[in-house]
Amino acid sequence: MTALTLTNVNKSFGEVHVLKDINIEVEEGEFVVFVGPSGCGKSTLLRVIAGLEDATSGEVHIGGDLVNNTPPSKRGIAMVFQSYALYPHLNVFKNMSLALKQEKQSKAVINERVAKASKMLNLEDYLERYPSELSGGQRQRVAIGRAIVREPKLFLFDEPLSNLDAALRMNTRLEIANLHDTLAASMIYVTHDQTEAMTLADKIVVLRDGRVEQIGSPMELYNNPVNQFVAGFLGSPAMNFMPAGFVSEGDPRTIGVRPEDLRLQDDGGLSATVQHVEHLGGDTNVIAEAKGTQITARLFGQHAINQGQTVTLGYAPERAYYFDKEGHRV
Amino acid sequence: MFPTPIQKRPRAAQITYQTLVPLALILWLLPLLAVGLFSIRPLSDFTNGNYWGMPSSFEFFTNYGKVFFESDMPRYLLNSLLITVPTVIGAVALSCMTGFALGIYRFRGNLLIFFMFIAGNFVPFQILMVPVRDLTVNMGLYDTKIGLVLFHIAFQTGFCTLFMRNFIRALPYELIEAARVEGIAEWRIFWYIVLPLMRPAIAALAVLIFTFIWNDYFWAVVLTQGPDAQPVTAGITSFNSQFVAQYHLMSAGSIVAALPPVIMFFAMQKHFIAGLTLGAVK
Repeated sequence: MTALTLTNVNKSFGEVHVLKDINIEVEEGEFVVFVGPSGCGKSTLLRVIAGLEDATSGEVHIGGDLVNNTPPSKRGIAMVFQSYALYPHLNVFKNMSLALKQEKQSKAVINERVAKASKMLNLEDYLERYPSELSGGQRQRVAIGRAIVREPKLFLFDEPLSNLDAALRMNTRLEIANLHDTLAASMIYVTHDQTEAMTLADKIVVLRDGRVEQIGSPMELYNNPVNQFVAGFLGSPAMNFMPAGFVSEGDPRTIGVRPEDLRLQDDGGLSATVQHVEHLGGDTNVIAEAKGTQITARLFGQHAINQGQTVTLGYAPERAYYFDKEGHRV
Repeated sequence: MFPTPIQKRPRAAQITYQTLVPLALILWLLPLLAVGLFSIRPLSDFTNGNYWGMPSSFEFFTNYGKVFFESDMPRYLLNSLLITVPTVIGAVALSCMTGFALGIYRFRGNLLIFFMFIAGNFVPFQILMVPVRDLTVNMGLYDTKIGLVLFHIAFQTGFCTLFMRNFIRALPYELIEAARVEGIAEWRIFWYIVLPLMRPAIAALAVLIFTFIWNDYFWAVVLTQGPDAQPVTAGITSFNSQFVAQYHLMSAGSIVAALPPVIMFFAMQKHFIAGLTLGAVK
């Protein structure tokens, strides 16, 4: 059974057409990440799934049931907000148990579920604390705990890590991955960070301007992007694009090469002037310029390359991607 | 640092400051001090024209005793209380609900309704004086406490709604959405999520409305007469009999009448908490 099916979903705010013919399927137990630049409609899509916004047209099915006219509370979902949205006047325990209380669950069930969730999230020592007394990471975990205790059919995460600092973000990312393994629940996760998308997802949905650009597993998208946008969006540093006629005169195609596919060679490649070198220890990123185009090469290991130096970069032709004028892969 | 702290200014500026501040303070408090002084003078001081000098005798207990035990003042005070408290409760409760509806729900005509609440505040009540009096007379509510209460609630709810709606608008909207996703019914969202966060606003508004209503003289005079329904502001004038103005008793009565709003302020003070929503978002 599919956990979520979106069929031709459209959403307009007045004149503005935000979501255009969205078709997505999420399988039971799948971790799906919606990724795209800010303003691409990914959060709106999540809100349509949650029921906080109504779709202008199209159908939303959750667990096989049409939910277009079902209020958020009856959709069997739980949502974790970017800003956490904890109830500031309630302590952690009450934050997590409020919804269960409204469902008229027995005290024993409430205590058991909160205990289970707080153990999973290492929140046992903080149950009596108020949100203002917690750190950002702890607040985020409370927000997740509040979702877990309800045992929903579908989890929705709206950029849950964007308010955390880098180290915490990585930890919490791992925790969310673990959580997905433990709960085996279907999850939808919205982010603009391609690293989060690549590391967490079973399936990535790349969105741009309210349209689905491509759907697939992280490696499918990485190795087989359908267009220049997807190719450029996934991967860090981003893919290099060499405009038409850059390599050979008269070739109308744009050539894309991933930074790790470029290597230094003695002759017969692209001659480029080094503008900047990032020594990361394990890798060295060389940012160079050739014929007015900036090219990033990611070299394995440590290299003594200086700014202003001229290097020759080459790549294996089979590792290159070709795009036509409209950006479609050819 | 701007402005420069007074301690770091030139000596001359400091001296000017130190003399002007107490002077301004005395000037500001002078009317109150005068009333305070009047309230402990004997009546003879007024007939002899001794307004500002030393009282010829200190009549604190006599005057205040008379106010409490030999006049209708306790009656008027009780009326004031019976008018003010229900009005505060009514106006604040109603405006919590209207504020929630106008602040949270997006429906057609939301702004229009909101503007009508505000527009009501712009109607000068002198214009309403005669129609409202006629209305209360026709409804049989003239010269009753309940009539005054109903009218005050109706008239104050406009301002209260403006206040509450803007306060609720400033609450993080995600809280409402989070609660909705969690399956909490709308009235429970109001009761369990929004109302607790409105505590500072409720306290501030309660003090404000309490003071407004307690100090109201205009409607008290227009809609009531006599000790059955009149509040203390109007009642004080009963010390002015046809031939004699009992300034000492009026002053004592005024001091007594001015105290409840002050007490109200201190009673509510601990609810004026900033940052109640701290930790809700981010």
